[in-house]
Amino acid sequence: MTDNTERQRMSLDAALDVLARRRENQVVVGTMTANGAWRQKSPHDLNLACIGFMGGASALGLGVALSQPGRDVWVIDGDGSLMMQLGSLGTIAGAAPSNLLHIVIHNGVYETSGSQPLPSQQQVDFARMAEGAGYAQTASFGDAEEFDSAIDELLAADGPTLVQLYTRPEDRFYSARPTPPGSTPALARMWPPVAEALR
Amino acid sequence: MTAQSIPADQLLSAIREAGVQDVVLVPDTHQRTVLDLLMDDEEIRTIHCSTEDEAVAVSAGLIIGGRRPMMQIQHAGLYASVNNLRGVALDGHFPIVLLIGLLGRDPELEPEQDGSSMVRLCRPLLETLDIPSHLLDGPDDLHCVAEAFDEAAERNGPVALLVGTTTS
Repeated sequence: MTDNTERQRMSLDAALDVLARRRENQVVVGTMTANGAWRQKSPHDLNLACIGFMGGASALGLGVALSQPGRDVWVIDGDGSLMMQLGSLGTIAGAAPSNLLHIVIHNGVYETSGSQPLPSQQQVDFARMAEGAGYAQTASFGDAEEFDSAIDELLAADGPTLVQLYTRPEDRFYSARPTPPGSTPALARMWPPVAEALR
Repeated sequence: MTAQSIPADQLLSAIREAGVQDVVLVPDTHQRTVLDLLMDDEEIRTIHCSTEDEAVAVSAGLIIGGRRPMMQIQHAGLYASVNNLRGVALDGHFPIVLLIGLLGRDPELEPEQDGSSMVRLCRPLLETLDIPSHLLDGPDDLHCVAEAFDEAAERNGPVALLVGTTTS
């Protein structure tokens, strides 16, 4: 059993900085609290978001990766999100897209709803799960400098790759605002420009 | 009326004529003869998913990347996929066509008269979700496959095809 309660953890900000420094023309699918932070750090025409279907980021990214084998796709997933769709680890391993990087932000809590603990009480190890599912590469980091030193080698090798980043829980409670009648949902606004850019 | 079995090769031809490039699936007992052909097909790629809501999101990603996917599931999977049908296919305005097997349906009855809740509630659920559906009750209905893709593109949303009896 992995006990993560005393583990070294980086800030979400530092974790995303490492990725943002490598951002070129990858399609990036973000979700939950990391999504907003990512979009501020790396505004780009090729950003997509999993909003309103928690757990779906990895499957959405898989579809893009399989459709665009010549382009790298990054999924910035959450631990609570991935717990909702653990089967996607097997689906991704089976489809084996060499161009997919699956980042899992592991803070051990459901941050948007008020930082309640995950059912696993911090013990779940997504890297070991992904390895068991059949990902080509897996790695875990709790220190941003170590992550920064290792990421280029991971990016250079064939995926699918899962990188688990242990981060400190932060106060990012999110209270949804009412949606005005007749509004176009965020996903419907977001993906057509990405599709256009990929043509 | 009695629903007629659709030969697998005819359904595969209809899928091919609709321009499908990827079939995103969770296996359906009801359509196993079609699955056998699809998995041997060299032109159409099959993508095997663990869950049906995953299949919705994978299909959406494929569309973003310029592919033409079709989902193939059974009725129980429709119920399992509702959140992503809402949050991805409907809210995202994705033209996803779903081929759904009505496993265990009595071919002598309309689906709404069936003794199985999985069969009986299928069309009412689709109607609630505002997803048009068409029943494939025999080879004469195969024109609906290509038409479903046109309908999905026109409405910018999902369309369901219900396979009424076990394929042969």
